Order: sequence, then structure tokens, then C-alpha cells
Amino acid sequence: MTATQSQSDTRIPTDIADWLTERVASYLDTDADSIDRDLPLAEYGLDSVYALSLCGDIEDTLGLVVEPTLAWDYPTVTAMAEFLRAEVGA
Amino acid sequence: MTTLEEAFGDPYDDGNPLGHRSVLAADERAAVADGAEAVLDDYGLNAEFVPERLGGRLVEVDELVRRLRPVFRRDAALGLGYGVTSLMAGLNVWLGGSDVQRKWLADLLLGGGKASVGYHELDRGNDLSNNAFTATRTDDGFLLSGRKEVINNAARADAAVLFARTGETGGGRDHSLLLVDLHQLDPDRFRRLPRYRTHGLRGVGLSGFEFDGCAAPDSALVGDLGAGGDLALRSFQVSRCVMAGTGLGILDAGLFATLRFALERKLYGQAVADLPHARATLVDAFTDLLTADALVTTATRALHVLPAHASAYAAATKYLVPTLLEEAMNSLSVVLGARFYLREGAYAGFGKHMRDLPPLGIGHAGGVSCQLTLLPQLARLLRKRADPAPVELFAAGAPLPDLDLAGLRLFAPSGDPLLAELAGTRMAPHLADLTAEAAALPARDTGVAAPPAALGLTDRYAVLLAAAAVTGYARHNPTPGGWADRALERLADRLAPAPALPGPANEALFADLLDRATTGHGLGLDRDPVTRTLA
Repeated sequence: MTATQSQSDTRIPTDIADWLTERVASYLDTDADSIDRDLPLAEYGLDSVYALSLCGDIEDTLGLVVEPTLAWDYPTVTAMAEFLRAEVGA
Repeated sequence: MTTLEEAFGDPYDDGNPLGHRSVLAADERAAVADGAEAVLDDYGLNAEFVPERLGGRLVEVDELVRRLRPVFRRDAALGLGYGVTSLMAGLNVWLGGSDVQRKWLADLLLGGGKASVGYHELDRGNDLSNNAFTATRTDDGFLLSGRKEVINNAARADAAVLFARTGETGGGRDHSLLLVDLHQLDPDRFRRLPRYRTHGLRGVGLSGFEFDGCAAPDSALVGDLGAGGDLALRSFQVSRCVMAGTGLGILDAGLFATLRFALERKLYGQAVADLPHARATLVDAFTDLLTADALVTTATRALHVLPAHASAYAAATKYLVPTLLEEAMNSLSVVLGARFYLREGAYAGFGKHMRDLPPLGIGHAGGVSCQLTLLPQLARLLRKRADPAPVELFAAGAPLPDLDLAGLRLFAPSGDPLLAELAGTRMAPHLADLTAEAAALPARDTGVAAPPAALGLTDRYAVLLAAAAVTGYARHNPTPGGWADRALERLADRLAPAPALPGPANEALFADLLDRATTGHGLGLDRDPVTRTLA
């Protein structure tokens, strides 16, 4: 692995996880600090409707076309951020 | 080959064993007319639900809707009861099933068999993600437990596609689809429930299934474990368009009946059709039927041409079209007066059509459920302007790309090619208003707890899509003189806080309507040949 890739690998996941947490907090009308990144989003009451909003935000911000099934397959902020980081890097 | 119109014959011929008289007598017995299903057997209607590559005749969804129309003109209970639900079951298998499952179900349907589709549970309605019917994994298959209720053809189906809970993680991967051979299930652990009585569609055999730890083989699983929601939301896009489209046949029949009555009936020394209010009502119903047809035609063609956008169009169509059709039937009932309320006589069929129409709106995703599909996407759908849709979306008869069910997406990308039709039209300011209001909507107001005002935005979106469909269709096809203008006027009225009072009937449109009724042509965009007579 080259240093450049390594750098981008360490930069992007932090950004994406922070950004996702901030989005989730805004759907829930709460602070980013109160979101546990390893708890399934469903536990917060985030249902398929939010999955749709999230897909829209991801497409707009990261330029990735994703399906709402993303939220089903990667149910936590941490898991989703890891997947998105790989996609953005690819 | 005899067409279905010819095979069913003139509904107003009292000697016709498949005419209104027989259909209504059968409806009183909660049945379909004797011999009616045999007509569909001879025609091989099931083949319309099976893709061509599997031996059937399903190629274009637009064409499928038009082929079903003669049946729904006669008796919606016949159309739905015979097997539109076989299509709903089949779509899941055509999309997600193995080659073995596809061939098995295709052969079953082509051989005249029936498939039920088991989504619905009375306690859960459209709340699919909370469905309770469970399939528990075993070493070599599943154990099924629970009930599926108000299911078409459950009493006689050979196969069923069942939406079952297979997980408890709380996300969208908790449900799977299973294709089961109902004749192979343990009769001690599986039973078919008694029939439900209904207000309309009385000839449809709605019942249900009950499973008590009933074994199903591993091979029953359609697609991956947990893929149920995913597959369902794709196949729904096709079946919702088709369901909305079947209603066009009902309004076509109801409008013809009302016109027939209005020409025959003399009041105050003139035909009812010459009274300004009645005439305007007839023309407005004709206008709205063509508008609904334009939206259905565009949405079904979009499944082929713009599959990534189809989820929004299908939901808007399934929401708005039944609404337009029901409102038109309500208005027409005023012209029929007391005749509309009689369950006998030449116009009793109108009342039956009116009873049969609401289930098409309620069934298979109710209107609000469709609005809730649209609401979270709305701001994004509207935010960007797209290039106009390709011409084959609108041009009747233009060949369509193959239907690729896997190409359907669960939500549409930003930038709507259909709404691009509205650029520079009288609807453009309405679109701008809606775009701004949708953008201002907080995410928390777009879920199931959305306030009524937020749901109202999806109504306006659907109306604007209909306006775009009318505009696009009229730009690429010959249409009845004056229709597109009047259609857009009526759609704009739906967006205005205080709709304008109707003016006098457009005489060109009335002449067109009368010409079709006199010469045996349908009242939809395609003017198909119809077998029925004025008095």
C-alpha cells in the first residue's frame, strides 16, 4: 500500500463516519454526540423512510448511487461508513 | 383469434350469457358469470402474465394493461379473481427466482393453474415490515407459522408466493419470499381459511392461509434469505401500475353506461345528454379518463424506458389514478340519478362498477402508503431539472426496450425526466412552488408520522406528473381535439385553492365521445374496438 492511499484511507473514513453521524442526528432532531455509532440505526427508530433520505444525502454528498438496502445490509454508522469509505476509494 | 371483446359480446344484449344481466345475477350470488372464466381459459389469459422467454406473452407492460381492459370493462371481479394476482406472485419469481422456480411457475400458469400472493395480514395492512407470518430455518428448509389474510384465490390456488419473517435484526433484511406448491404441504399443518364477504368485487374468492409449523423445502426460497423486501419493492412497481390500469376499463364502462342512459332518457322534453350540467359532466369524465390513461401509459412505458425512475411514477400512479377514476364515477352517478342506486335494470352495472372500483385503490398498497413512498424522495426528485424523456416514453406503438425487472430501483435518482415536459408550460410555476416547499420540509416530517400538509405535497407531485404525461403524450400522438388543454385545466384546478366552476361542455370532445360510443370504439387513448351498443 502506498502512502497516498494510506493517507486517503485514514482521512475518508473519519469524515464519512462523522458526516453520517451528523446526518442521522439531524433526522432524529438530536445532537451528534448522543448517537452510538455501533448501535443499529433501527434502534433509534430510523426506518425505511430514513433509509431513503440517507440514500439521497449519500448520492448528493459522496456522489455514490446507492439503494436503501444499504441501511439494511450495513445497519450501524460504523458499518455503513466502512462500506462507503471502500466505495469512495474504489 | 377471436378477441376478448368479441368473445364477451355486447353487455347490453339481454340474451348474451356473458352480458350485464348475467354478470349482475352472478354478482348477487358472489360469483362470476357462468362461462366467463372459460372465455379467459380459451384466450389463455395467464400467458399474458408470463414473460415471453418463459413461453408466455408478457413483453410490454403497457400492452398487458390494454389486453386486460376488455375483462375489466365487463367485470372487475372476473379480471382480478381470474388471475391478476397470479401476475403479482409471478413478478417476484421472474425477478428473483431460480431458473427452476421460474420454469415451474411459468408452466403452472401456462397450464391454467393459479398462484396466490401472500403479503397481506389483516392486523398489519400495508405495514409490511411488521408482518408476523414466520418462516423458521431448519436443516433442510423452513417451518411456516401464521396467517395470510384476504388473499385472492387462496381457496383454489396451486401455488403461493409468501412474504415471511425470517429474521429479527430490526432492519429491512428480516423478510424473505417463499414460493410454495400448496398441494405438497402437510394437510395437518396447513389450511385454507373461509371466504371473506366484501362490499365490492363480490365475485372474487378472497380467503386466506393458516400455517401451524408447516414444513416447506429449502428450494422454496426466492432469491436470497432476507431479500423479501427488496424483491417486493421492485415487483410492486410493475403490479401497482397494472392495478391502476385495470381501473381504466371500469371507468370506460361506467362512462359508456352513463352516456347511453343520457342519450336514451328524456327529461323536461329533451335528452339528458342535452342538459348542460349532464353534458359537461360526461365530457369531464371523458377528459379525466384520458388523463388517467396518459398517466398509466406513461408509467408503464417508464418501466421499460426509465427503470431507475419507475418507483416514483408507479407510486404516484397507484395513488392518483384510482382517485381520478373514483371521482369521475361519483360525478357520473349524479347524471344517472336514481338508476345508479338500483340493483336491477339496464344500468345496474354502473353501481356494481362503482362498488368494484375502490378496492383497486385500497388493495395492493393504499393511497396513503403510496404517498409515504414518495414523500421522503420528494425534495430530491424535484431539486434537479433533467433532460426531457426519450420519445419512446410517449409515442404510442414505438418499440420499448425489454423489461428489466432487476434494473428497477427502490428510489429514483435526482432529476425527473418526465417533469421536464412541464418546462415553459402553465404548470411550470406550480412545479417551482412545489420544489421550494418540498425542499423546506424537514426529514422528520417525511416519515409515517408526516403531517397532512406534507402528504399534500405528494398529491401535487402526482398531479404534476399527470400533467407531464398529458403534455408528453399529446406532443407525440394524435389526441381528441381540445382534450389536452381541458385536461391541463382540470389538473391545474386540483392545484388551486378554489377550483373554478365548470363552464359549458367542450362540444368537440362531446362529439368525439359520441362518435366512439356510436361506432364501437373504446373511450381510452387508443380507441380500441369494443363490442357494445347504445339503446
